[in-house]
Amino acid sequence: MGLKRDVSLAAALGYKGQGPYLTYILHRIGGSALFILFTVYILSLVGMESMQSLMGNWVFQAFMLVFGLFHAINGLRITILDLSPKLIEHYRIAINIEWVAYILVAGFALFVVLRNALGG
Amino acid sequence: MATRTLPLSKRGFNFETFMWAFTRFTVIAMYGLILAGLIGGLIVSAQTGANFGDILYWAFFPNLAENPLGQIWMTILAKLMVIAFVLSACGHGVHGVLEILDDYFTSELARRWSRNFIITYAVVASLIAIYIIWTK
Repeated sequence: MGLKRDVSLAAALGYKGQGPYLTYILHRIGGSALFILFTVYILSLVGMESMQSLMGNWVFQAFMLVFGLFHAINGLRITILDLSPKLIEHYRIAINIEWVAYILVAGFALFVVLRNALGG
Repeated sequence: MATRTLPLSKRGFNFETFMWAFTRFTVIAMYGLILAGLIGGLIVSAQTGANFGDILYWAFFPNLAENPLGQIWMTILAKLMVIAFVLSACGHGVHGVLEILDDYFTSELARRWSRNFIITYAVVASLIAIYIIWTK
């Protein structure tokens, strides 16, 4: 099977479902970010000072919160729709609800991280 | 849009079905552990007058935070909860990372080696995490 990917990200984001595709790709980015967080967490537990300081870095925290929270909230939506197939026909509404929840939670989390970073 | 559902009995219980169920159940376990951590933190905060930051710290880093009530059972429970969370996250993450890698690695050899690497990594990282969380 050949591997040919000549579709730009902009074109990909406009592909068919648009909103659902955006959640799909952000879910993957979030999962990859959490995989990195898992590794950093283990290494910081081991006692690596560089990893401990990375865990305390506000840019790292903000990055992980933005993508990690999206993964968690989108995953909850996917699980609910998977376990209740009758709701799948309302999946676009579910995605809209998910965005509202995400903006509220991630906004609050970012506010706390930035306030601490700025010494507030 | 018509809803298409296929009962489990007609799907067959193959590897994909198993991993689909495994990924869903591990994520439900993680949500449950987060909820239990938050509720536990809220109960403790009522006894200690702690703020919301303390609650989140106890909920998400119970093995690193100081035991607020100084009781041994709470320390053991916190360690067990963190270990359960790490194992759930690891199992869930292994399947997720493999799905992503399978999309980008097309040759059988690359897929087999990425699979071997990720599973070995997950087992080793889990064992190290369990050891440190339990003994620290």
